Amino acid sequence: MNRFYQLPTLRIDPTRKKTFTYLGKTYQGVDGDTVAAALYANGIRIFARSLKYHRPRGLYSMDGECSNTCMEVDNIPNVRAENTLLKNGMTVKAQNVKGTPEKDFMGFMDKMSWAMPAGFYYNTMHKPASIWPIALKQIRKVAGLGKLAPDFEMTGKYDEIFPTADVCVIGGGPAGMNAALAAAENGLRVILLESRPWLGGFFEYRAAQYQNETPLFQRARDLAKQVADTPDIRTFTHTAMVGAYNNNLITAFQTGGADDSFDQRYIEIRAQSVVVATGCIERPLLFENNEKPGIMQIACAHRLARTYGLLPGEKAVFSIGHDLGLEAAIDLFDLGLKISCVADIREDGQDPDLVEIMRRKKIPLLRGWVATDAHGKKTLNKVTLSTLQGTRDKEFACDLLVASAGMTPVTGPLAVAQAELCFDNHTGFFLPANLPVKMHAAGRMLGLNDALAIEASGRSAGLLAAADCGSSVDTSLNEARADLENLPGPVKGSKMVTAPVKGDKTFICFDEDTTVKNIKQAIKKGFDVAELIKRFTSASTGPGQGGIPGHNLPLFVAQYNADPDVSAKPTTIRPPLVPTFIATYAGANHDMCKRTPLDALQKKAGGVFRRIGVWSRARYFSQDFTCRDEIENVRNNVGLFDASTLGKFRIWGPDALKALQRVYVGDMSKIADGKIKYSAMCNEDACIIDDGVVIKRGENDYYFTTSTARAGAAVEWIRYHTRYDGWNFNMVNLTDALGVINLAGPNARKVLAKVTDADISNDAFPYAGYREFKIKDTIPVRVMRLGFVGELSYELHTPSSYMPALWEILEDAGSEFGIRNFGLEAQNVLRMEKCHLIIGAESEQRTTLHDVGLGFLWDRTKTDTKTVGAFALKQTEKQDGRLKLVGFKMENSDARAPRDGSIIVDSKIRGYVCIARNSHTLNEVVGLALVDESLAETGTKLEIYEDECGDERLYAVVALTPFYDPDAKRLKM
Amino acid sequence: MENIKKLSPVVFKARPVKTEVRDNQTVVLEYVGEELGPYLTDLSHKIRWDVQDSNLDAIKPWGIAIPETPGLSVLENGFLINRMNRTQASVWHLAGEKPDDPDDSAYTETTDATMFVALTGRETFAIAEKLTSLDFAVPDKKAPFLLQGPIAHVPCQIVTLAQNGEHCGLLFTCSRGYAQSMIGAILEAGEEFGLRPAGETAFNKFLTQ
Repeated sequence: MNRFYQLPTLRIDPTRKKTFTYLGKTYQGVDGDTVAAALYANGIRIFARSLKYHRPRGLYSMDGECSNTCMEVDNIPNVRAENTLLKNGMTVKAQNVKGTPEKDFMGFMDKMSWAMPAGFYYNTMHKPASIWPIALKQIRKVAGLGKLAPDFEMTGKYDEIFPTADVCVIGGGPAGMNAALAAAENGLRVILLESRPWLGGFFEYRAAQYQNETPLFQRARDLAKQVADTPDIRTFTHTAMVGAYNNNLITAFQTGGADDSFDQRYIEIRAQSVVVATGCIERPLLFENNEKPGIMQIACAHRLARTYGLLPGEKAVFSIGHDLGLEAAIDLFDLGLKISCVADIREDGQDPDLVEIMRRKKIPLLRGWVATDAHGKKTLNKVTLSTLQGTRDKEFACDLLVASAGMTPVTGPLAVAQAELCFDNHTGFFLPANLPVKMHAAGRMLGLNDALAIEASGRSAGLLAAADCGSSVDTSLNEARADLENLPGPVKGSKMVTAPVKGDKTFICFDEDTTVKNIKQAIKKGFDVAELIKRFTSASTGPGQGGIPGHNLPLFVAQYNADPDVSAKPTTIRPPLVPTFIATYAGANHDMCKRTPLDALQKKAGGVFRRIGVWSRARYFSQDFTCRDEIENVRNNVGLFDASTLGKFRIWGPDALKALQRVYVGDMSKIADGKIKYSAMCNEDACIIDDGVVIKRGENDYYFTTSTARAGAAVEWIRYHTRYDGWNFNMVNLTDALGVINLAGPNARKVLAKVTDADISNDAFPYAGYREFKIKDTIPVRVMRLGFVGELSYELHTPSSYMPALWEILEDAGSEFGIRNFGLEAQNVLRMEKCHLIIGAESEQRTTLHDVGLGFLWDRTKTDTKTVGAFALKQTEKQDGRLKLVGFKMENSDARAPRDGSIIVDSKIRGYVCIARNSHTLNEVVGLALVDESLAETGTKLEIYEDECGDERLYAVVALTPFYDPDAKRLKM
Repeated sequence: MENIKKLSPVVFKARPVKTEVRDNQTVVLEYVGEELGPYLTDLSHKIRWDVQDSNLDAIKPWGIAIPETPGLSVLENGFLINRMNRTQASVWHLAGEKPDDPDDSAYTETTDATMFVALTGRETFAIAEKLTSLDFAVPDKKAPFLLQGPIAHVPCQIVTLAQNGEHCGLLFTCSRGYAQSMIGAILEAGEEFGLRPAGETAFNKFLTQ
């Protein structure tokens, strides 16, 4: 196909060829081509088949307003070929095709449309009920656009940015560029978003005169240069706005070019004020076979020639309702297109200058005529035109029909920002009635048609946005408003929706194959509101997000129902306004997790890591996930455990004790010097939320720990529960400042004694004691004698930067005893054997302090502060029907351990297994469960049901706890 | 104890060419191939304190008045002091001899609690906007100023140190545990701008400009 290479409006570089394959054949396009333009240049007219009827579909809008040109590009389905720039080596395939787009074996579906009236799947294939599952499978086989392999992996680089602006302008046409320039004049930071790869909007490709012999495209480029030369304006081209949220949060996605470091990137903009200047699209003309390949909108035909150098056809008919159609016909005629006839919906009101030019060029103009039918087996070869009343008709042979009912504003950005849209009788547009605060609309979308008025409107909106940001713009704004008032206002628009046809194959929604007949069927069934009809017929629910049927649907419904004031509204649309890759939303997707200071050492030691909450932690130190060796080494020798994730806090000040008394159930005034105090926190319902230890390090100065899970919430929790008291205390979160090593096992003292001069004998440093000393005279440690794993243990808290050194020192000192690491799973088994709890593992949202047997921690004599949960602790102490924590052993000694979370049943669910493991220490399976109080008695048999166990059950018996070292001798040795 | 070393939470893959041992910790002064920025510098060894008191205005860390308004910072005598809220400030020692420990219960040393890095160079804000929606280049705010919010979804304290065209810089801290993830995220965000690790010398030069 010959192309124009000399037009000044072109956006292609014919010297730079690009090669791609389509259906296995190699084709060439040029730099700047979209995939669709390149296919069109190579004579491809059928791009895909439609969703339901498998009708051939071709180029229509050039802006991806419908699924006609959704194709599979480089294995990614549903790529909008009209918006996707061609790259060397691309592989393009048609989709929704069985065979080829020209010969689709599913093409017979078009003849079955009689069997698929609106909502047919609600009415058919349901009786008898057994048919539906079969029908469902068949429907699913043919439904959907595009196919994605289950193992598909998205390639490319997907990025994200979160820029801030004073003013965000959506739409880089003449109004948008003027708005951006006006705002930037006031020293504001402006972001300008444009969906096409260049600025200019509907000026950009037109050769018509702007002013003083300057063509519109030149004006567009002049404005674009001004924008580029303004440092405060940041322009994002090839960037589609997709969402608007509270406080002017605007989201968009940008397609990267050859020089960009990304393929697509998500953009999230915080702006003080927003200007929407998204212009108009064409409202599709409804007539029989209105989507046949060869039929396209005015701008599509015009831009094919002016932007891509492609004459859209050889012989054309126009059926239009706007002067842009006349202008395009003249321009394309001058470029060599044969035009049989221009039918204008309007009986009058055309631009007389354009009419005169057409007369001179002998282009026939039929006023008050419209296309009623398009003919041709697969592509267009003939058009029937008729009078608006359908009284007379004419037929014209042609391969191109340029069809459009008129203009309609792009209201998506306003709609997602929750602006109210009302029909305006003069323009025939849905116009914004109430714009959100600090949002302004400008330009063609308000019905303006005059180039200068569009620009003045943009400038005015830009100044209003500047005023929103606090700029003093009164004088400029008055001048801009005066300019606008002296220019032509909104023009009368075409309201025609459908030609005088029955509508059997008049498509109101191309994406979903919804015809005018379907809409009428829905209305006859009582769906009289566009929003309901949309759901019943699926019109405007396709990938075009209502671009094609968006405004035609409510207008058609209003006209059909003879609604005199067109009270109907456009149906609801939601972000993303244009189809976006999920990968783009995912963006860089940094996996942010916390690592302990010992991360590298533990990895080196063979640690098997798991993500637990925000932390990455070593769960095992071998591939034996029962951790037998790790456990036995702690029980018989000595082990090292990284407990750095524990929450650690300093609280101090005159009222620090009061704050502790408020949140802990115990009496914190009784913390002895050199001792630790174990206690718990409850919520107002007496449910246990955390446990930990508190140490008094000085006058009104305490150090306390929380569980790992509660570390992030502890400060807020204490501040919240003291918010009305005006107490004077301070807190610092030291969770990351201090690492923790748990040195545990009967040889722990021997190891520690080798690295410190401090007296750590059992007398000098007994169980539940706290000391501070130095390791090797250098490393400061805060040491607690605790016994979470049920053995002689020292918990060493030390500055995180010293943690690796301390670990290596202890490893070195313990080597003669065979010291080794143990991980989270080993710790879990060890503490379970001892029946030491992990809050959250053996408790849930409704579990009270009493339920887990920790009621003894509650000091009910505290009087100076009201303890959080104290009232409920009284109420729940003797409450019936609660789940109680019990220990259990399996009834048969050779039975395996039930899975964590398995439910305990009789005729009802009576509880669940919190944890159960095969204890190598005890040589039997033991576990902890929360069970109905009636089952909590020692010796009670528990019936355990596991997922998918069928009729099989496991049986256990409630046992005395703790299972290991019930006299706690080993902790105190 | 010669072999007892403190370690920074930040590890760069770059090879150091100049190092110095301070307070049991090896500080990298320069990496191989630093060339031009933008730079990411590990300052985690710089001493930092949290200061809290109900009468915060009465406290003058090393003789420097804490800014009265939350969000304001002051850089004086090598100390950067950031007012966080009514009762709390952070003090970061950026330059000069190691100061004596303050003898006041209002101070808690938090050096080991956080990782501390500087992001400097013309492209600083372009890199930062890939990681956060916080606005570090607000024209009507005079550097240095403090923002508290997320970078790569992780809560941080961030100080805009300079915002003058070529001379742009951010300092920020986040929980030490996030160091490895955070450094990865920053370097990935800065890849297209040529972001590279730099030693303390580069930061000191930046600070004196």
